[in-house]
Amino acid sequence: MLLEVNNVEKSFGGIRAVRSVSVNIEEGSLTSIIGPNGAGKTTLFNLLTGIYKPDSGAINFNGRSIIGFRPDQVNAAGMARTFQSIRLFHAMTVLENVMVGMHSRLRISLADTLLRPVGFVKQENHVRQKASDLLHFVGLAGKGDEVSRNLPYGDQRRVEIARALASDPKLLLLDEPTAGMNPNESVDAMNLFRRIRDELGVTVILIEHDMRVVMGISERISVLDYGEKIAEGTPTEIKANPRVVEAYLGRQAAGTTDEKQKATEE
Amino acid sequence: MAATTTAPLTTSWRDRIKEPRTALFLIIAYIALAILVLVTLDRRSLLFPLFSTCAFPPFVLSPFVILGSPLSGRTKVRLILALILLIMPIIGIFDGAYLELAIQICIFAGLALGLNIVVGFAGLLDLGYIAFFAVGAYIWGMFTSTVDTYWATQPVTLVPFAWLLYFLVAIGVSTTVLRGRRENRFFWTVGVLGVFILATIVWNAVVNNLVFLATQIAPNWLVPSWAFFLFLIVGVVIAAWVGVLLGLPVLRLRGDYLAIVTLGFGEMIRVLARNLDAPINFTNGSQGLSGVSRPPLPGLWVDATGAIANGLSVRVDNVEPVAQQLLFYFIAIAMIGIIILVARRLEDSPIGRAWTAIREDEVAAIAMGVPLVRMKLLAFAAGAAFAGAIGVLYAAKQTFVSPESFSLIQSISILAMVIVGGMGGIRGVILGAVVVTLLNLQVLKNISLQINALRQIDYMIPIINFRITDWPTQLEPAKYERLVFGLLLILMMIFRPAGLLPEPRRKMELQSMKEAAGEGVEPITEIPAAAGSEG
Amino acid sequence: MERTTQAANPFAGMVEWFSSPPVTGGWLYRFIIYPLLQMAVFIIGIAAFLTAAAYLIAFIIPNPRENIVLAEQINRQLPGMIISGISVGFVYSMIALGYTLVYGVLKFINFAHSEIFMVGSVVGFEIMQRIDEAGASQQWNPVVMVVTIVLSSMLASGLLAVLIERVAYRPLRNAPRLVPLISAIGVSFFLTDVVRATEAMLRNDFNLRYPTNDLNWLTDAIPLVIGGITVNIKPTSIIMVIGAVLTLLALNYFVNGTKLGRGVRAVSQDQSTAGLMRIDVNFMISLTFFIGGAFGGAAGALFGMNAGTITPYVGFIPGVKAFTAAVLGGIGNVTGSLLGGLTIGMLEAFLNGTLAYFPALGQRYTDIFVFAILIIVLIFRPGGLLGERVDEKV
Repeated sequence: MLLEVNNVEKSFGGIRAVRSVSVNIEEGSLTSIIGPNGAGKTTLFNLLTGIYKPDSGAINFNGRSIIGFRPDQVNAAGMARTFQSIRLFHAMTVLENVMVGMHSRLRISLADTLLRPVGFVKQENHVRQKASDLLHFVGLAGKGDEVSRNLPYGDQRRVEIARALASDPKLLLLDEPTAGMNPNESVDAMNLFRRIRDELGVTVILIEHDMRVVMGISERISVLDYGEKIAEGTPTEIKANPRVVEAYLGRQAAGTTDEKQKATEE
Repeated sequence: MAATTTAPLTTSWRDRIKEPRTALFLIIAYIALAILVLVTLDRRSLLFPLFSTCAFPPFVLSPFVILGSPLSGRTKVRLILALILLIMPIIGIFDGAYLELAIQICIFAGLALGLNIVVGFAGLLDLGYIAFFAVGAYIWGMFTSTVDTYWATQPVTLVPFAWLLYFLVAIGVSTTVLRGRRENRFFWTVGVLGVFILATIVWNAVVNNLVFLATQIAPNWLVPSWAFFLFLIVGVVIAAWVGVLLGLPVLRLRGDYLAIVTLGFGEMIRVLARNLDAPINFTNGSQGLSGVSRPPLPGLWVDATGAIANGLSVRVDNVEPVAQQLLFYFIAIAMIGIIILVARRLEDSPIGRAWTAIREDEVAAIAMGVPLVRMKLLAFAAGAAFAGAIGVLYAAKQTFVSPESFSLIQSISILAMVIVGGMGGIRGVILGAVVVTLLNLQVLKNISLQINALRQIDYMIPIINFRITDWPTQLEPAKYERLVFGLLLILMMIFRPAGLLPEPRRKMELQSMKEAAGEGVEPITEIPAAAGSEG
Repeated sequence: MERTTQAANPFAGMVEWFSSPPVTGGWLYRFIIYPLLQMAVFIIGIAAFLTAAAYLIAFIIPNPRENIVLAEQINRQLPGMIISGISVGFVYSMIALGYTLVYGVLKFINFAHSEIFMVGSVVGFEIMQRIDEAGASQQWNPVVMVVTIVLSSMLASGLLAVLIERVAYRPLRNAPRLVPLISAIGVSFFLTDVVRATEAMLRNDFNLRYPTNDLNWLTDAIPLVIGGITVNIKPTSIIMVIGAVLTLLALNYFVNGTKLGRGVRAVSQDQSTAGLMRIDVNFMISLTFFIGGAFGGAAGALFGMNAGTITPYVGFIPGVKAFTAAVLGGIGNVTGSLLGGLTIGMLEAFLNGTLAYFPALGQRYTDIFVFAILIIVLIFRPGGLLGERVDEKV
């Protein structure tokens, strides 16, 4: 198992945002986490990446516990993420954004920075080259010099993915990567996720609301509701699970304004 | 530059001055005029303060005019170098007051460039920056002042320093050797420990013998003046170290808390400087350290200065002080050059990118693997290091160090330089330093002088019939620098938050924040507590 | 996900004054008895704690210097230290309220607040000086005089605070966090020199001496015998305490007992929602600045009367200490300001009383100790003693 999450708990004040959730992720898999708004999906990502510290429970990544790791240590350990509300460095160029993503893989030395030996120059060239390769990979070739805030929404999501991939992660966490995309873009994005897994060999976990994306590419699905994991299985199993239908789809049917609510929620 | 390619029949004057030749001519004429006015002004004339205030700032600002002109890069560099390395010293020989101003501008530009790393690059508001400047100044002051301080009198006092140095080196070496060694870890550890014990014995002997020797040779020793250049480096190291020590506990605080805590640190260092004269005299308290050494003045340099003054047919009564000032000027210029180089290289490196990332979005930065506290500490230490070196220079130049030179108003004036010029951009920050220093040390002072000069002759302003003698003596412009800095900060923040010479990225950040806020998406700049626990 | 967290509160239940849930009971109980009781609890608690700490130090270091028995010195000074601690503490609390109220609604540290305090004390001086110059200071009833001075200072400082917000902060409300902070620093520096220039023009001097010399009721110490020790209490200390208690009671009533106060609380909880509820957010912010400023002004006048001589630079140190108090109590928490202010004031009095007996220390290090506390609190308990409302959003 690449990632083992055991009985993780997190409360804020009196609210139990994540209740004893356990998830196991196999290396090379493509998993989705779904659930209604406020189900604790993003909180779970924040727990995994060290932004929050769990109240209790265990998280083992790549064979060792990452409880108490800072976000940058988690990143160095091989887990990278994107954010639901895009958090690019808006005034940096696209290429620089991706270059920042490589930070944990670089040899950073003050003396090298000031004296610029051959190794430093080589590393910088390598960083630049790899960043533009990654941009090519996510389909943004030639856009490296644009300032990231000037890119269209969908492209910004791609930059975020490239930035996350820059740290050579073993596991990539994507937080609603297709939110706000039109159906065509979503299909492109799905292909991209598959290629990340197949060509780069990166294990992928998605938080997704778009059921076509979820059912289309996930090998396994975990369903959260009120901070609890209520189901887990293959897409066909999940579709047939009465609890999921009741908790998730039932509510979805009650109000299809889900997409809009999300913006105010997080 | 592109204007030359188009040749319309009627060229407007706007286009015409954009032609390189015309521009070059205009700039040279401008500089020549400024120099002429400066050199011909009569110190004894009644309105000298006023005229001098009108003439010197345009001259000092001319490099920025050149930078903004449509000349080729090469010409620009040549012109600016000529101005800085040739013309300014010559003007300095004509009138030492301008040279003094130029040195002060360099000192403050150095400080502003250092603070810019902290505030402009990494986005950390440091209101106690002057503390590091004080550290540098006191290091040189304590060791060379003629005042009877603890340090100056007994070589024995160096022993703790020798050991501190030793342990720092030892920790550094042993961690580098042991890091990442997974095989034979035990043996490596034992080996390092063995070497450590041996080295300790050797070092103990070395220190004891050195102290013994020093006590024999010079029981009341002073650090020799040539050590100044060594102490520039010592100042860098110790100030950086103090920066790390102060920064370590506070850098995980949020921006506005950090501002207040650093302000507290700045004041604490001043209070310490004022009070550390008893029971052991370290700083000589509020009286300050006088008789601080200057760097050595080579006889050749004095002769050369005298020769140049003769060549220019300037009558100089005493060449030595002029030569001394010139030496300080060139040292200061060299230091600024190094600081600019270092700042550039830091900016254009993974470290610089990490700083920008932190400044823009801490949460995203740390999630992308940027170690927040370490990178912030680095910014803090780098900024402090510059201030330390400049502090050593300052102490040597003033030959006097007192706690009052390091008050909050100094920190704020340096902040004002960074903000007026434009946070983040090196050019802008230097412009800010020039503008604010001139305002502070020349314009305000000269207005005061002018008022006093007019008071002497009982001048009455015509039309409004105001007698200058009625001007309240307490209302002296030179004492109102707080008003000027305060107003500058407010106006800049409201009308030009990115500064006079905005750095493009900074400008964009300010805009994007505004837009984001306008869209109702609150920019989140904090890391929740769990993320901040970095040791 | 937006969630409001309350940091674990060691004083839970005892200190819920301005915060939810409101105190229940009759009007008299809610707005007079309960707050007074709470102040008494704070004072007794802090005094007891610091006394114990002082004696503990005296036990560990009985003779910090030759011929000095620390415990005896503490015995002798204790009542004096406590009384001066209470009066100074209330002043700090009042200034701290200004920081806390503004922080509550704008999440922004009003750096210029120390100068608002300073303006209060200068205005107080001007009023008193004018009364004195008119030769009327002997005729005025002491209570009327003090009330006049304090009220005019409150009005002046309150209006000034509103003006500052309007001119220097409101245009920057959507800018990055550091921008209004820098503007506030500018305002702070600007104000000191504007006041200095004004006084230079008016009086050609900026060391302002309250004309207290010929007012016996203000200068003659009141002897008080406590446990065989005679303590001379400055009348200004009593004025400070009474003034502070009255204004604090008024604030409590305003915040918890009136509709406007409810509006302020609503804005501090959630600006945009409050706006949707047809609350005039800008007005509420101005009102908050007015109240905070008025408190600063009152503190300034009381401080000035007590100190005697003031300058335009007098605001800085009390400002920083009051900020420390606000942070110590938990910035944004009104009760916290009271607790923090009293703690810092009392601690300062104890340090002033005892530090002098230690070699190589002395009173001059009191300020450093207070700064050190600020830093320690920020590092180990950034939410302060009573906890801060922390909005965690990612």
